[in-house]
Amino acid sequence: MFSNIFKYEFKSCLRQKAILFWLIAFPIILGCFFKMAFSGIYEKDVVFNAIPVAVTNIEENDILKQVLEQISNSDEALFKVTYTDIDKAEEMLKSEDIKGIIKASDLSLEFGSTGIQQTIVKTFIQQYKTQEKIITDTAKNAPQKLDKVIASLSEKISPNEDIPLHGNPDITIQFFYNLLAMTALFGSMSGLFVAQKNQGDLSALGARRCCSPVNKLTSITATLLAFHAVEMICMVISVTFLRFVLKVDFGSKLPLVYLAAIIGGITGISMGFFVGSFRIKEGVKISVVMAASMTCCFFSGLMSNTIRGTVAEHCPIFNEINPAAIISDSFYCLNLYEDYRRFTVKIISMAIYTVLFTLGGYVLTRRRKYASL
Amino acid sequence: MAETVVKIDNLVKRYKELIALDHFDLEIKKGEVFGLLGPNGSGKTTTINCLLSLLAYDKGDIEIFGEKMSPVNYGVKKRIGVIMQNVAVFDELTVYENIDYFCGLYITDKATRKKYVDDAIAFVGLEDFVKFHPKKLSGGLLRRLNIACGIAHKPELIILDEPTVAVDPQSRNKILEGILQLNREGATIIYTSHYMEEVEQICTRIAIMDKGSKIAEGTTEELKRMIKNTETITAEILQLPENVREQIEALEHVYNVSYADNKLVARCTGGRHNLIEILKILQENQVGFGSVYSEQPTLNDVFLEITGKALRDKE
Repeated sequence: MFSNIFKYEFKSCLRQKAILFWLIAFPIILGCFFKMAFSGIYEKDVVFNAIPVAVTNIEENDILKQVLEQISNSDEALFKVTYTDIDKAEEMLKSEDIKGIIKASDLSLEFGSTGIQQTIVKTFIQQYKTQEKIITDTAKNAPQKLDKVIASLSEKISPNEDIPLHGNPDITIQFFYNLLAMTALFGSMSGLFVAQKNQGDLSALGARRCCSPVNKLTSITATLLAFHAVEMICMVISVTFLRFVLKVDFGSKLPLVYLAAIIGGITGISMGFFVGSFRIKEGVKISVVMAASMTCCFFSGLMSNTIRGTVAEHCPIFNEINPAAIISDSFYCLNLYEDYRRFTVKIISMAIYTVLFTLGGYVLTRRRKYASL
Repeated sequence: MAETVVKIDNLVKRYKELIALDHFDLEIKKGEVFGLLGPNGSGKTTTINCLLSLLAYDKGDIEIFGEKMSPVNYGVKKRIGVIMQNVAVFDELTVYENIDYFCGLYITDKATRKKYVDDAIAFVGLEDFVKFHPKKLSGGLLRRLNIACGIAHKPELIILDEPTVAVDPQSRNKILEGILQLNREGATIIYTSHYMEEVEQICTRIAIMDKGSKIAEGTTEELKRMIKNTETITAEILQLPENVREQIEALEHVYNVSYADNKLVARCTGGRHNLIEILKILQENQVGFGSVYSEQPTLNDVFLEITGKALRDKE
């Protein structure tokens, strides 16, 4: 019975055009758009090389000069500084010898283009501005501690914790991670169908199944596994397309990227199964699932790469519980960190979600008789 | 005496204030084609859903094949085939796959299942459509697929809940013939409908339901004998003089006369020559008439007389 249900549910799911569109065609199409949109701003040589900047009027700001000297002469130099006048600096910027100009007189900035390197320069100056008084006071009152204060300033933006040590640091790859997270969460639509099909009060098919001599747990498990199998195929196709057709660089641990995508897909299905098990109108449930998926993806940065930072700043816990953020973070961790600790945490988080959603769905559907049909 | 297949005792089902089944009793014997007849909302489908343990009920007992019915009585469920009012098939699977899927919920042995599926396909006449998807089938063929999915495992008790709704007359006849064939092969049938002609045509015993209660039960003949009306005579008359109407009303076996829309309707109870007597009065009074016909009472008349309303809404 189990194998028979699995076989036909698998076939049925595989032939549902809506599922195939949202789980295969849509991510491929959106992936192509992303690729076209981001190919012009793709940067690979960021972060790890010292960022070349020109500084003008440095004679007007001794403290800044000290700070710049220190962070550009360390082993992990953040900047490669050229002190010059404004005309020369602008010429260098035009010829792309430098990424930006820091005007020491008023701490204003000038960039030729935008990108992660420019963001780092900007962040550095912002940090400097907020800590300028502390640095000035330290230089005056306890110059022996100045090194430490400057070190703490550079640490906040230097590549020792949040900025990775290997892998593809291209900021636009986040969009592809989020695209995969979205595909995984769209699996919730098929999870919703699993619940509908097994509930006697939610569908005619469910009623017919409830009349059969098949244990509900067997029926639901076989159906869920069939849908998981289809989702798995869809996720593998999506990752393969992004990696090998669009040449998106997921780093060197591709098998684990597949694993994360598959587990993310299973999480998505279980989420839909949970929502689908509630005894509310199908249209409402579809809306809830779609809205939840899109909201999670929005806050994990599918539409804007700055939203994650904003969420992290104002409500950091949301990034830890947002399934889309967890899924996209798992790819991020794999790509950028040598160790697997963060990746493992993300995978465990997805597994916990899957177990909770599935158990919740089972509890809601375990009813054997209905008050009304 | 035939074995009791279904026994419903004192069943009560409430939806908040509404009483859907009001102390309902029923006993169905092996080999019967039992009809549950009643207007929409009379409680037929609720009865079936309670019988199948899909619906929770407030009071009463249900036994099928001598065992108390429950959602986990898989032994009993295995012996039942259900054809629901709504078509319940997978749109993405072919005709063959659908029947194989549902048969597979009951029959695990592959070889047996294959034979049963082939038999079911032949039974409903879908041999030419095995590779079709349900969306490509007409309404009648879809209903036949729905039936095949419910009976492929060769159940001993088959419950059909309004299986001919929205089906063309030709397909309807095929479905009804098929049900009788299943009965001849040994299955006990429970058939719910609000089409009295169908119930009259195929059922050996009938229970008429209204507002959650059983208002009458018996064979078609027994039910018809329960009412006063034995014959209804209708004549098309352009103008009916009052004295002629009075003469007809005075006839011994006529108990009700109405005249509307140029139609005279005389309801009779007993008597063997009512039509001749009415025609005689019309001729003697030189009243011209068009067509004249006499009808035996139908189940609708039974329902009308017992409840004071028609069985089926005008369609």
